[in-house]
Amino acid sequence: MTSERPDMSVQLGSLRLRNPVMTASGTFGFGVEYAECVDLERLGAVVIKAVTVEPRIGNRPPRIAETAAGMLNAIGLQNPGVDAVIAEKLPELASYDVPIIANLAGESVAEYVQLAERLTACGYVAALELNISCPNVSHGMMFSSSPELTGELVAAVRRVTDLPLITKLSPNVTDIVPMAVAAVEAGSDALSLINTLLGMSIDVARRRPMVGNITAGLSGPAIKPVALRCVWQVYEAVQVPLIGMGGIMDSHDALQFIMAGASAVAVGTASFVNPAASVEIIGGLEQYCCDHDLCGIGSLVGVAHS
Amino acid sequence: MVQEKCRLLSSEQVAPGHWVLRLAAPAIASFARAGQFVHVRIPTTYDPLLRRPISIMLPEARQGNLRLLTCAVGRGTRMLVETPIGTELDLLGPLGTAFPLPGGPELSEAKEVLLVAGGMGVAPLVFLADTLRGMDHHAYVRGLFGAATEDLLVSWTEFAARCDEFYVSTEDGSAGEQGRVTDTLVAQLERGQADVVYTCGPIAMMAQVAQMCHDAGVACYCSFEQRMGCGVGACLSCAVPAAGGGYVRVCRDGPVFAADRLDWEAILDDI
Ligand SMILES: Cc1cc2nc3c(=O)[nH]c(=O)nc-3n(C[C@H](O)[C@H](O)[C@H](O)COP(=O)(O)OP(=O)(O)OC[C@H]3O[C@@H](n4cnc5c(N)ncnc54)[C@H](O)[C@@H]3O)c2cc1C
Ligand SMILES: Cc1cc2nc3c(=O)[nH]c(=O)nc-3n(C[C@H](O)[C@H](O)[C@H](O)COP(=O)(O)O)c2cc1C
Ligand code: FES
Repeated sequence: MTSERPDMSVQLGSLRLRNPVMTASGTFGFGVEYAECVDLERLGAVVIKAVTVEPRIGNRPPRIAETAAGMLNAIGLQNPGVDAVIAEKLPELASYDVPIIANLAGESVAEYVQLAERLTACGYVAALELNISCPNVSHGMMFSSSPELTGELVAAVRRVTDLPLITKLSPNVTDIVPMAVAAVEAGSDALSLINTLLGMSIDVARRRPMVGNITAGLSGPAIKPVALRCVWQVYEAVQVPLIGMGGIMDSHDALQFIMAGASAVAVGTASFVNPAASVEIIGGLEQYCCDHDLCGIGSLVGVAHS
Repeated sequence: MVQEKCRLLSSEQVAPGHWVLRLAAPAIASFARAGQFVHVRIPTTYDPLLRRPISIMLPEARQGNLRLLTCAVGRGTRMLVETPIGTELDLLGPLGTAFPLPGGPELSEAKEVLLVAGGMGVAPLVFLADTLRGMDHHAYVRGLFGAATEDLLVSWTEFAARCDEFYVSTEDGSAGEQGRVTDTLVAQLERGQADVVYTCGPIAMMAQVAQMCHDAGVACYCSFEQRMGCGVGACLSCAVPAAGGGYVRVCRDGPVFAADRLDWEAILDDI
C-alpha cells in the first residue's frame, strides 16, 4: 500500500479536473438544486442542463417513463435561454468551487456559434459541451448523424472559443467512429459519449404512447453495455480524452468505462436513484487506486485494450 | 432536504390494497410540513429503478417517525408494502411545497377552511388537519371525504378525528351520502362558510373542485401528482401545464399549487 493519496486529477484539453467524475447534462439541473444533499465541491465538474439561444418551454407531459432497469425521457430542452442562464443560473453555481461545463444545443451552426460566444464571454464556464445528439427535439440528431455536419459545426465553434471544447456524440448512428473522428479533426478537445438511445414505451391501459413526445431517450443501467462498447470503439480511433457515460451507477461501473478508455465519467440517471452516487463513485475510485497500489487513476485509462 | 436511511417500523394494511408504513426518520420528521412528500427508493434493486414519491401522512415529530399511506398500484408500490419490517429504506425529503396556512401571508384572513379529499388523496390532508389543529388561533376545519366505496375511505378515522366537522360520501352509497365529494362541496360553498379550500385526490376531481372554487371566488390549493425523476427540481421530468403557458415542476414548484396557477384544460387533455 502506498501512503500517498492517489492522484485522481484528469486533464481535458486545457482544463484540469481534481477528479474524473462529473454530472451528466440534464440530470443535475444547474447544480444548486442538489446542493442541500450533495457536496458540489467534491465533484470533478458540474455539467449543466442544455442551453439554447431562446427560452424553450419543453415537451408536453408526461415526459418520462420507467423501463426495465432504465428510463425514457423527452424533456425537450426546457431552459430559460442563454441570457437568463447567464444572468440567473450561473452566478449561484459559480459561488461553489467546482468547474462548470455548459451544454449547448442549437438548431443551426449559427446558433451554436452564438451560444459559444455568449458562454465563453460570460466568464463562468470552464468548458463547452456541444450537444449535437438530443433525440427529443426535431433536428436534434441532424448533426450527430453526419460526419461532415459534425466537422463543420465543431470547426465553426472552435473558431470562436478558447475554452476546452467537448463534443457529445449520439449512439443512434450506424457507426459512431466516423463522428468521433470528424469532431476531433475539427478541433474538439474531448468527446462525451453517449447521449440517450432513442426508444419508446406504450401504455396498454390507455392504448397510447407513455411519453407525450411519443419517442424518448433511454438512459440508466439498461444502456451501459451499449455505452461501454461506444467508448471502446472510439478509444481505438482517436487520441483525445473521452468522457464516458450511460448507466454508471457505482464505482465498479465507472471503472469499466475507464478501463474501456474513458479518462473521465459522467453520472446521470444514477443521481435520481441516489443523489450521493457521484460523490460515492469518487470515493470508490480512490479506494480502488489505494487497494491496487496505483499512484493515479490515469494509469487505468484504456487498460482493458492491452 | 436530506437523504436519510429509515428503518421500517411497521406496516399495517388499512384497506384493500392500502397500507400505512411507519418509518424511523428523525431528520425528515423534524422539519416536514403538511403537503410535502418523500422520494422513496425501492430497496436493493435497479429494476424498478426510480424512486417513488409518497406524501407524508403524519410525522410523529416527537418520536421521530413518519407515517406513509401507500396504495399498491404497481410494481414499485407493491414491493414497498411487501418490504420486511426492520428493513432500512432510503428516503429523500421532505420535498416540495407545503400548504399555505391560515394566518400566513397568503391567507391572513382565513378563519374557516374546507379540506376535500378523494380516496388516497386523504394522506396529505390528514397532516394538514393535524397542523391546523395544533395552531394557536386555529381555523374551523370542515373535512369532506369521498371515495368509490366504504372500503376505500382509507384512514378516515385519522382524518375525522382532526376535523371540527366531517362529511363522508361514497359513489355507491355504502357509507355517508351517496354521490361524489364534489356534490357535498356544492352545498358547503353555497353556505359561503369557506375562506379557503384544500384538496387532494384524482385529477378529474381536483379539476372540478378548482373550477367550483374559482366560480365561488374561494381560494383553492391542490396537491398534484406527476411521474418524477429526481424529485428535487433538477430534471424537469415532472412538468405540468401552468396557467398562462409553460410548465411548472410538481416536485419543486409543487406538489401544492394554488389552483389558478395550473392550466386545468391542458392537464385534463394529457390524461
Ligand atoms: C407528490 C406525490 C405524492 C404522492 N403521494 C402518494 C401517497 O401518499 N400514497 C400513495 O400510495 N401514492 C402516492 N403517490 C403516487 C405514487 O407515487 C405512485 O402510485 C407510484 O409512484 C406508483 O409506482 P408503482 O411502481 O407502484 O406503479 P407503476 O405504474 O409501475 O409505476 C411506473 C412509473 O410511473 C410512476 N407513477 C405511476 N403512477 C404515478 C403517480 N400517480 N404519480 C407519480 N408517479 C407515478 C412511478 O413512480 C414509476 O416511475 C404520490 C405521487 C406524487 C407525485
Ligand atoms: C432527464 C434527462 C435529461 C437529459 N438532458 C440532457 C441535455 O439537456 N443535454 C444532454 O446533452 N444530455 C441530456 N441527457 C443525457 C445525459 O446527459 C446522459 O448522456 C444519458 O442520460 C446517459 O447517461 P445515464 O445513463 O447515466 O443517465 C439527459 C438525460 C436525462 C435522463
Ligand atoms: S422530478 Fe426532476 S424536476 Fe421534478
